[in-house]
Amino acid sequence: MQETVTTSALLDPSHSSVSTQDKSSTGGHTSSTGPQPSKPSITPVSAKSRNPHPGANFHRMRRIIAEDPEWSLAIVPLLTELCIQHIIRNFQNNPILKQMLPEHQQKVLNHLSPDLPLAVTANLIDNENYWLRCCMQRWPVCHVAHHGGSWKRMFFERHLENLLKHFIPGTTDPAVILDLLPLCRNYVRRVHVDQFLPPVQIPAQLRPGDQSDSGSEGEMEEPTVDHYQLGDLVAGLSHLEELDLVYDVKDCGMNFEWNLFLFTYRDCHSLAAAIKACHTLKIFKLTRSKVDDDKARIIIRSLLDHPVLEELDLSHNLIGDRGARGAAKLLSHSRLRVLNLANNQVRAPGAQSLAHALAHNTNLISLNLRLNCIEDEGGQALAHALQTNKCLTTLHLGGNELSEPTATLLSQVLAINTTLTSINLSCNHIGLDGGKQLLEGMSDNKTLLEFDLRLSDVAQESEYLIGQALYANREAARQRALNPSHFMSTITANGPENSVG
Amino acid sequence: MNPPGSLAGLDPNLDEHLSTQILAPSVHSDNPQERIQARRLRIAARLEARRREALGEYLDGKKESEEDQSKSYKQKEESRLKLAKLLLCGTELVTNIQVAIDIREIHRRVEEEEIKRQRIEKLENEVKTSQDKFDEITSKWEEGKQKRIPQELWEMLNTQQLHCAGLLEDKNKLISELQQELKTKDDQYVKDLKKQSDDICLLLERMEEQVKNVMKTFREELYNIEKAFEVERQELLASNKKKWERALQAHNAKELEYLTNRMKKVEDYEKQLNRQRIWDCEEYNTIKIKLEQDVQVQQLVLTRVPGWRSTWPTPVNVSCLATTCDILEILEQQLQQRKAIYQLNQEKLEYNLQVLKKRDEESTVIKSQQKRKINRHFALIDDEKFREIWLMNEEEAKDLIARAFDVDRIIHTHHLGLPWTAPDFWFLKNVGPISQQPQKSATQIVEEMLMHTEEEEAEEAASEPESYLDLPKQISEKTTKKILMVLCDESGFLIESKLLSLLLPLEQNECYLLRLDAIFSALGIESEDDLYKLVNFFLKYRAHRLSSSLQIKSCSQASMEKASMEKASMEETSMGSELELAEQTEMEGAKEESLVEGEKEEEEETPPSPWDIHPNDVLKILEAFVMGLKKPRDSRAPPRVQKNMRNNSKDSEYWQALTTVIPSSKQNLWDALYTALEKYHIVLTQRAKLLLENSSLEQRNTELQALLQQYLNSKINSELQVPPTQVLRVPTK
Repeated sequence: MQETVTTSALLDPSHSSVSTQDKSSTGGHTSSTGPQPSKPSITPVSAKSRNPHPGANFHRMRRIIAEDPEWSLAIVPLLTELCIQHIIRNFQNNPILKQMLPEHQQKVLNHLSPDLPLAVTANLIDNENYWLRCCMQRWPVCHVAHHGGSWKRMFFERHLENLLKHFIPGTTDPAVILDLLPLCRNYVRRVHVDQFLPPVQIPAQLRPGDQSDSGSEGEMEEPTVDHYQLGDLVAGLSHLEELDLVYDVKDCGMNFEWNLFLFTYRDCHSLAAAIKACHTLKIFKLTRSKVDDDKARIIIRSLLDHPVLEELDLSHNLIGDRGARGAAKLLSHSRLRVLNLANNQVRAPGAQSLAHALAHNTNLISLNLRLNCIEDEGGQALAHALQTNKCLTTLHLGGNELSEPTATLLSQVLAINTTLTSINLSCNHIGLDGGKQLLEGMSDNKTLLEFDLRLSDVAQESEYLIGQALYANREAARQRALNPSHFMSTITANGPENSVG
Repeated sequence: MNPPGSLAGLDPNLDEHLSTQILAPSVHSDNPQERIQARRLRIAARLEARRREALGEYLDGKKESEEDQSKSYKQKEESRLKLAKLLLCGTELVTNIQVAIDIREIHRRVEEEEIKRQRIEKLENEVKTSQDKFDEITSKWEEGKQKRIPQELWEMLNTQQLHCAGLLEDKNKLISELQQELKTKDDQYVKDLKKQSDDICLLLERMEEQVKNVMKTFREELYNIEKAFEVERQELLASNKKKWERALQAHNAKELEYLTNRMKKVEDYEKQLNRQRIWDCEEYNTIKIKLEQDVQVQQLVLTRVPGWRSTWPTPVNVSCLATTCDILEILEQQLQQRKAIYQLNQEKLEYNLQVLKKRDEESTVIKSQQKRKINRHFALIDDEKFREIWLMNEEEAKDLIARAFDVDRIIHTHHLGLPWTAPDFWFLKNVGPISQQPQKSATQIVEEMLMHTEEEEAEEAASEPESYLDLPKQISEKTTKKILMVLCDESGFLIESKLLSLLLPLEQNECYLLRLDAIFSALGIESEDDLYKLVNFFLKYRAHRLSSSLQIKSCSQASMEKASMEKASMEETSMGSELELAEQTEMEGAKEESLVEGEKEEEEETPPSPWDIHPNDVLKILEAFVMGLKKPRDSRAPPRVQKNMRNNSKDSEYWQALTTVIPSSKQNLWDALYTALEKYHIVLTQRAKLLLENSSLEQRNTELQALLQQYLNSKINSELQVPPTQVLRVPTK
């Protein structure tokens, strides 16, 4: 008992230091509009900027570059030029943009500082180039493709992500996020947060003497570890399509505590309510967050009959058969196209219920059950379901303790199914005979493109032959894609060729 | 252009940095060469893109169907397969790590489960054994309560203590075991972490390697494909070139062939042409010979038929040569003859030409005279015609006026009962055109004058002074003539020599006239006034010079001139109407008086005598005159056309007056009278009608009375039971 007390006492100051660090960092990011430390000639941004070095400036002044659009012979600057300069200088107080001619707008936008307050720029400037500069200034690495190719969207999504990541319940002012809401509500489509900080445990620090009873402490701490409640934010974002959450703490180092990684029931309920209210949500991901059966069922219940949800990712959690049953129910009560339950604790009963739902489903195209333990019973059930299913294209059953019986059934499925394009059976115990049976099944299949049988005790020969068949199928698919009008003839033409090769 | 030292130190770094950063020449670089390079690359890329855009679809569509067997297609397929395989293998290599970890995890889970199971079993066993032990101990406590002997109790307590210690030891042992296990697990965790980081490192390494590999192979394949394309292109070029060369050779060969063909043909044609020419020549010669023979024969026949016949009895075609020689001889002779004849004719014609020229000259002179005459004649005829038309119209108008007066007279005397007096207007008495004396040109006057003097001379009647010209001045015709004669003789230099030569064969009078015409034109004398001025000038000049010694002679001459003038005027005006004549005689009379008076005065002052004008003085006088005339000349330049214009201003007045013979008041009277008479006429006609009606009614009345009488007296009336006479009475009742 003493030990725990001391450890907690010892840990507390360091923990607080962590939190203060977080605070300072959040402060730095919230005041992102303030002057940033310039990093000359490190990123392409500075290379593109007009005068990266004061010394080089003079030299550059004397040069004429044909690409310089600003270069002018006029000794006295034009009045328009002066006006534009003035507008740029006073943009923060008096933003004038839409009233100007397009070329002048362009000029102003090119010279506006990326540090202007968002309240001024957010709803006024749509120019991608400006937001590109903003993004480049704040983050060294930017993948605009992850944000739909829009720099503005990227800026707001990442800005919001930053705020959420460093939000400490009870310490940070919730207004910080709610104030941003009216500015970013039209631009944010995806919220990706991979860390939620728990509240600071001030009581533990203040009353070190009182904590003799561990039980009471546990009871006391239970309500305090709730994280930021997303309800208001999600309700405010009118175009939110993707929600990718991880209830996790990064870089905790030696301050590790199990409490940091708790996804509480209150969190769960509020999240469920938030996603239930959000009718634009298409993708929902909640991974690595210790979601157990009960929490999974709470969330899935809120997603039942959701109008647009297409993808549900609950991988790397603690979901068991009951959660899987809930997911199976969701399959028949939504338009879900992708379901990911990888690295959970689904066993045969869960798989059976999923298979039951899958048998007559017409929406799901991808099912991932990697690193579960459905075993042959579950595998057989799924194989039976695939005999009637006409929609699923991708199935991942890697690491599920499957063996020959499942392979037998799957080979039958391969012979008749024409929609499956990718199956993963790696890390199972298919065995030599199972491999041969699968090879037989493959010989009648013309649609499967990927079939992963690594580390599943299949004979190398059959794996190779299956690979050949897959190659033939891929070639045929390519021909079909190139000229869809006469793919029948190309199939017949390419068939013998490929079998020879 | 090199920047100063400090900047030079900085710039290369910057450049290096930029180049490493962007890995390609940049247009923002500081190095001009690099900028140029960058721009070149950019232009090339743009061109490439445009070209691809233009050709892209076309080529894509073609490739599959046409280039099945081509090298590039093969290369492409090969590369594609290779790259696909590479990608697949690479991905497999990378994912292998994940799979390996998966399977390790599964094994770990299996092991974990096993260990857990064992541990639980162990714990359960331990719980069971410890429970047994505990039960044993608790049962012993009951046992111990019954113990009364302290030693026993102590012994028992000792054993109990031992048991408890054993139990505790067991528990402690378990705890330490578990702790040991925990420790190994911690170690395991650390190891796992390490392993995972290793795995991640490996994964990253493999990914990087794969990226590198893929890039490398892609580049290689791209190079290969490009090479294949290049080779194919080269081959295509070579084949095309070969084809082209072959075609060109064929073309050249054909061209050569055509050329030789053409040359051959040209030679052929030339030969043919030569042949043709020779043939034509021969034919021409034969025809010529034949024709010449024919001509010779003809000539022989025509010219010297008898002589030739006699001297050359042999037929013509005996010997061709002989005949041609003869023919030539004859022809030469004939040529000589012809030449002689031409000579003769030419002389004749030249003579004729001379004659004709002379005649032409004469005729020009005559023509000019005739023109003058004709002009005058036409003027007279025009006047005559004008007069006739005038008279005709006047007569017509007068007729109409007379009729109007008649009517007026009748109206006045018969209808109005008023006395009628014929109206008296000036224009009613006028007959013929209203004339005014026109101004005449100087030459005209001179001409007339000359003509008169000529007549005079011819008739030998010098007594008649002929001056219908109303000369206002005190100059007699003769004086004028004399002066003009002198002038004419002395100032020949004013006349063109050509004209003089032409004037030679003419009569004296005409000669004078033409000369004077020329002189006047030279002096600028145009009108009558000018002429008289000249004459006056002469007279005044003389007056200055001469004394009054020859007064009597000139006086007699002047009287004679006066008489002749009067007579001439009488003659001239005889063609006018009687009225005009009367008027003119009156005027003449008045003039005569004035003339007489004027001449008397003249005679008193300066008795003129033309003979006293010395020919030497003429030039001086002329010079002075011309000098004096020049000044007024400038101002006045009346157009000559006006001279022949007749003043017709009074004509319209005259004819207008004729129309208003009956004044408008009288016309109104006539209108009123007309309406009244009209009404009167209507009344009269009505009365006449009524009278007629009356008489017809009277006649019918008498007839009806007779009939009634007849019916009443007839027999039928008595025969009827009820006579109509009674019936007629019934209705009246």
